[in-house]
Amino acid sequence: MTVGGYRVRILRRATLPGWEAALFSVLALGVGLFLFGFVFLFAGASPMQAYQEIFRYAFFNANGIPLTMSRFIFLALSTYAFIVPFRAGEWNIGMTGQIYMGGLAAYAVVYAFGGKVSKDVPLNPALVLPLMVLAAALGGALMGGIAGYLKGRWDVNEIVVTMMLNFIAFWLVSHMIKDGGPFMNVGGRGEGFTLPTSLRAPTVLGMPFTILFVLVLAGALEFLFARTSLGYQIRAAGLSSKAARYAGMDTTRISLWVFLLGGGIAGLAAYHYFAAVPGVYKIPRNYGEFGDLAFFGIICGLIALGNPLATLPVALLFGGLSIGGRYAQGKLHLGFGVDYALMGVLMITLVAFQFFYRYRIVVEPLAPEPRPSGTPAPSDLASYGGE
Amino acid sequence: MLPFILRSLEAAMIFTFAGLGELVNQRGGILNVGLEGIMLFGATLGFVAAQTTESYLVGFLVGVLVGGLLGLLHGVFSISLGVDQVVSGMGIWIFSFGMTTYIGSPFTGPLGMERLPTVLGISPFFYVAVLLAVGIWFVLTKTSLGLAIRSVGETPDVAEVSGIHVARLRYLCVVVGGMLAGFAGALYALYYNPVWNYNFLMGWGFISLALVFFSMWNPFLLFGGALLFGLLWQLSLNPELLLPGLFSRYIWRMVPFAVTVLVLVFISTDWFRARWGATRPQALGQPYHRE
Repeated sequence: MTVGGYRVRILRRATLPGWEAALFSVLALGVGLFLFGFVFLFAGASPMQAYQEIFRYAFFNANGIPLTMSRFIFLALSTYAFIVPFRAGEWNIGMTGQIYMGGLAAYAVVYAFGGKVSKDVPLNPALVLPLMVLAAALGGALMGGIAGYLKGRWDVNEIVVTMMLNFIAFWLVSHMIKDGGPFMNVGGRGEGFTLPTSLRAPTVLGMPFTILFVLVLAGALEFLFARTSLGYQIRAAGLSSKAARYAGMDTTRISLWVFLLGGGIAGLAAYHYFAAVPGVYKIPRNYGEFGDLAFFGIICGLIALGNPLATLPVALLFGGLSIGGRYAQGKLHLGFGVDYALMGVLMITLVAFQFFYRYRIVVEPLAPEPRPSGTPAPSDLASYGGE
Repeated sequence: MLPFILRSLEAAMIFTFAGLGELVNQRGGILNVGLEGIMLFGATLGFVAAQTTESYLVGFLVGVLVGGLLGLLHGVFSISLGVDQVVSGMGIWIFSFGMTTYIGSPFTGPLGMERLPTVLGISPFFYVAVLLAVGIWFVLTKTSLGLAIRSVGETPDVAEVSGIHVARLRYLCVVVGGMLAGFAGALYALYYNPVWNYNFLMGWGFISLALVFFSMWNPFLLFGGALLFGLLWQLSLNPELLLPGLFSRYIWRMVPFAVTVLVLVFISTDWFRARWGATRPQALGQPYHRE
């Protein structure tokens, strides 16, 4: 194709340098936010003002910052839950179900210690808290492990399986907290019982201590991928599961491990939102909306290119966007779900940008002396779809 | 008991439309895991359009149109831009989930229109679904167009050499598939469950996707599977018909999803694959680049 004396060619990439990939992620974010400005315009709000409100509330407001941080912790953990299988080439869209199971498991511990009776039951946090965290991780891991085992053993489509498990777990939570279920609030309001005050999570610098999970896991996962044999196998399976098997790796075991690990981390996210975030401290009636927030983890994971360290800024930004979006929605009288719509627009922009991961566009002045025909330059051999 | 069975048939009709669309997609070699998203969009915009114009016809047309457009979008991503089909499909699903939540929220609640007429107790679209299954089977197996579609899904390079325009045919498949999915969504929102609610499709798109896998890409088996799942879904809503008093109603709601997982596992076993594994379109999910 020629445009005004320049030749524009689309070439398939053999490799993509890390910094370029990161640049495209940032560009995709920018373009997505720009495009979303039109949604504000359609709703009769000024995009500039809307973004100002969003960022000011999310990052510079005394009420907004703790909400943003809580959301950030949740999103970062959801993102880890997505990227561990993703690095092995597998799609975990079951964070939602793993979160429900983690939440139920954590509250099962409280229930077992008699914490359901009243929120004033004195329980020993040094004993019960670690058990809750452990149970949440185990609950999530078991749920994830089902999909991982099925994927590894029989190559059962993990997208459909994890989605089906999401719905199964969704109804299981309803069964437990509604219509006289065992975890139902004594008041009978169709929500889970309240966590005893004695079991409220300790805070670090005013934040739930679960922030430590996020920070420790960022380093630990980076170490896992970069320095361990399992991490190497995960990456190898991600590049080509067939080649990994041919090289003697046990791909069934890899599938199982990544989903156990991912699910376990999702369980921690459940502990965080249902038992450590101030103002919640129970499995609320609208738990479905909390669960669906985990889908943000897919977008964060794709933008962060599956990198645990890059997850931190991305999840922080998305945490702010979703909290600020909810605030701007009220302030500017927008419809419900601005944050969901934003998630959707960013996702589709990101998909469009995948093009640049595979191809590069070369613009060059038309050469004054044409190449002799019949001897294509080497780069032409890789050109896509003819000229 | 009769209303229960009729209602099951109507659920089956929606699974059939959505599943047939995805089946055509996949026969052409394009996997669209965003089926749930396309249905959600068709359902929500169809619902909004019908309610604002008070016309069912407009609602259905909008559903089909938006489905076709999303199918086209999936085509642009996965055929022209060479984006991984799973990434593109997931993108379409999340995009639709997010946008429809925002677009539909002001319309939360019942449709508030006179119900569509029925023929012999069920929606006339049920008969259309049966005819469509036969029609798609006929086109795919008995016509040269069907042969071309299947060859594009099996070995696109060979198809290209024999003079078939691979990209054009794949575009046809994704757009038709999208239109059928959008229509299925509109049918869900305008007839089967005419009450808009947050994420009210409840995974029907993912179940339809699974149905295509276990239909072994045969329209008749797909219809059979749809009948089974229609029945299961209705049973999960009215368990007292079969086993009164057993389990809470929430536990029953899990059954269709659990059965989906079990059937998926069954068709993925070595025993099953060794016998019927070859029916899978060989180039399914692989981008095709003309050399």
